[in-house]
Formats: sequence, C-alpha cells, structure tokens
Amino acid sequence: MFDTLKDILVDKLKVSPDLITAEATPEEIDLDSLAIVELSLVLQKELGIEVSDDELTEAETVGDIVRLMDERSARV
Amino acid sequence: MAATPGFEAAVTGLGMVTPAGVGTKENWSAVRAGASRAAVDPSLDPSPVRLACRVTGFDAGRLLGERRALRLDPFVHFALVAAAEALSDAGLDPATWDGARVGVVLGTADGGPGTVEAQHRVMLEEGGRWVSPLLLPMQLPNMLAGQLAIEYGCTGPNLVVATACASGATAIGTARDLLAADRCDVVLTGGSEAMLTPLLMSGFAQMGALSRRQDDPAAASRPFDADRDGFVAGEGAGVLVMERAADARARGAAVHGRIVGYGASADAHHMTKPRADGRGTEAAVRAALADAGLGPSAIGHVNAHGTATPLNDLVEGRMIKRVLPHDPKVTSTKGVTGHLLGASGAIEAIYTLLALKHGTVPPTANLTRLDDRIDINVCAREEPLDAEFALSNSFGFGGQNAVLVAAAP
Repeated sequence: MFDTLKDILVDKLKVSPDLITAEATPEEIDLDSLAIVELSLVLQKELGIEVSDDELTEAETVGDIVRLMDERSARV
Repeated sequence: MAATPGFEAAVTGLGMVTPAGVGTKENWSAVRAGASRAAVDPSLDPSPVRLACRVTGFDAGRLLGERRALRLDPFVHFALVAAAEALSDAGLDPATWDGARVGVVLGTADGGPGTVEAQHRVMLEEGGRWVSPLLLPMQLPNMLAGQLAIEYGCTGPNLVVATACASGATAIGTARDLLAADRCDVVLTGGSEAMLTPLLMSGFAQMGALSRRQDDPAAASRPFDADRDGFVAGEGAGVLVMERAADARARGAAVHGRIVGYGASADAHHMTKPRADGRGTEAAVRAALADAGLGPSAIGHVNAHGTATPLNDLVEGRMIKRVLPHDPKVTSTKGVTGHLLGASGAIEAIYTLLALKHGTVPPTANLTRLDDRIDINVCAREEPLDAEFALSNSFGFGGQNAVLVAAAP
C-alpha cells in the first residue's frame, strides 16, 4: 500500500518521489490543508478508499496514511 | 491637477512571456521583425472563432516545478516566469531586500477562467463533491500579486487591478503612484492574462470583437488597416521592476527607461463601445501629459491601443490626430502579438520603453493600406526614432482608459 500511495502522490499531486518515506510528515512532502483534501478525493476516485480529509489531517506521517488506507480497503 | 507631476519611476528590470517569445530579448527581436503570431487553435473548439496568439515554447512544469505548476493557473505561471526574468535583470536579490518596502501591483482582466471552466465541467459531470479544493485559490485574480509576494517575500502593498484591456497600464500607473507616495521603494508591476478558453472566445466572438480571418491567420491581426475586422486574442505576461529614479541611480542600476506620467479616465458611456468622439481616451492622454509636465509636441512615438477592431482604431486614430497633430510615429504591436487583454498595457509599455531606448519603432504588422479615415503616421515598417518621450495607450471595455508616458533612459 505504501507504493500505491507513493504512486498517487507522485502521479496525481506531483510530489517529488525522493521526499516520500514512511517516516516523512505531510509537511515534509509539501502537503498543505488543500492538498490533503485533494488526496482524500484522489484516494476515493482512484482506489475507492474513503478516508476523510479530517482523518488525513490527523495522520502524523506517510506511514499513518498508509495504515488508514489499509484499514479502509480491508473493510471494503 | 496631477497628483504626481513629473515623478520619475525608473524601470530597472523587464520580463516577458508573450506569443512573441519567452524573454524580453526574444520579444524585442520578434516585434521588430513584424511577423504575426496568430494561428488557428483547435483547442478553442467549439468556439465560433478559433484564431489566437498562444505562448509557445513555455513549459510551466519545467520552469516552475511540476508540483507548483499543477497548483497554479497559467495566468500565474506566465507572471512568475516574467517576474523572475525582471528581478534578475534588475540585479535585485529577494534574499537580501527589505520585503516590507517591496510592493506588487499587477493587472488582469479575468484571472484564471480556464481553471473555472475545467472545474465547472467536473461539477456537471461528476458532482460538486469532486470539485478541486484549489479552484478558488487558483482562479482568483488577486492571486497574481499574492503568488509573487509568496515567491519573493514582498510584504509591502499588494494588489491586482482590473480595468479590462487597460489593466496592465493601470497597474503600472498605480505602482508609480505608490513609489511617489513613498509607500514602497521597489515595485513589481505589469499584467498577465490567460483567457484563451472556448467559453470566453465564444463570448468575444458573439460580441463581434474578433477577426474572422481563419483562412489566413497570419493576416488576421491588422491594426489601422482598411481591411481589419477585429482583434486576435493572445495570452502572456509582462513584468517591470520600478524604483524611484534617485534610488536606482544610488545603487548604480542600469535603467531601461522611465515612466514619467500616467493618465486615467472613464468614458462613462457604454459597456463595450468607445465614445465615438474619443473624448474619454483624449482625457486620459491629456491627463498623462499634464502628469508628466509635457506638452503634446514632446511626444515622438505612440504605442497605440490599436486592437484592429473597426471602431477602436478609427476612434483612437482620430483622437491621436487631434491631440498630437505633429504626427509622431505610431505603431500597434498587436499586429504581431495579438491582443493580450489585461496584459497588453504592460507588454506594450515595455515595447514603448525599448523603442525609446533603442531608437527604433517596431512595425505594425499587416498594415498594407491605412484606413483612409485615419490620418496619422502609422509605421508599416520599422522606422528610426529620435525622441525622449512616448505614449502607451490602453483602453478597456467599460470605457476605462489608461495612458502612460514613457521616457528614454
């Protein structure tokens, strides 16, 4: 799932791939509050995974976002 | 009475992104060469008119970074690239300046309509909850000045003005006022426009404002020509760095020229048509001359608004004859670039400064037979210029008029 998220961040939000690690914070990969909403929409549109922007805002690292995605996709 | 009589704003940096080229040097060679940049643009389908002057050879992702480019509308892309050139040209380093003394005043007619149209489509086809959270910050006209401030840490006065096709000139005049009032020491000014969308082009076409010469695009934009039939819309940006002349001298900056007068007026007449008697535009020219402390005979060159619409060129031509009967050399660079709408006043102010600096008037492309009702000295070919002062005219829908007096270095 980390690679899936990384692909989305790189392809859809044009985040620089070398910044993206499991430990990186949203701020470190240049995700501001607007980009968090974008990411929420992209995850739903591309993968059918529903994670709200509020939940994404709570995530402290990229790894946390991956865990949220894992949880939600398991439920589907 | 003029508020800033004789005040000299020194222009120390220039940057351009236009259909004539990316870069001021490229622009100047292209307008001197006089070849029109108009072409049929299939991406404007289903607009009834698909003629346009596009910026070419411009890769926003490469110039600004993919992520940044994705989050900004093209009207901001153009301005960021032009501003980078202008600052580098001015030899100013934003890392070391006092940002609180740096202002930004830019003009645009419409901000980012391409972004609005794309997201409108998303809403209609997929639903409102899929609309991008970036819609507002990408398309708001004021983001033009806001993004430049963010980029360069300019924390002084920051605004965007809208006077339709006079916006770029209104911005430069307003920026000069800020310098004269000591509200800042350096100002980034000019204009940017990215309105070449199918919807807006349809609107211009329905107004009857556009040239229909789609079978011969290179001949479509023909200011002051007897066979002109409307303008060709363009896109792009022009940015100038201005400082008080004494400050520019003190830091030993190279000066391209000076903006020494500004006149503004309103026709108060009609939403699109200029006053037939030209009294509104004449008032702006006279105010600009008074502001510069000059008589009409001091003006050696005019970069006309010259859109190539049947009505503008007739009214403007007669007005120029009335106010400047000594027949200064007139050009309309829109023959080459098309009409850059809210950016046109900025790019034409730059061409006017360069004409004075280099002593040459660029030609009016496609002028093969002057409209015989217009008795002014329009240059069909490049001509030498020996003058200290020139006018740059810009007139907007809504009857908003802005005229700048440019001076040689």
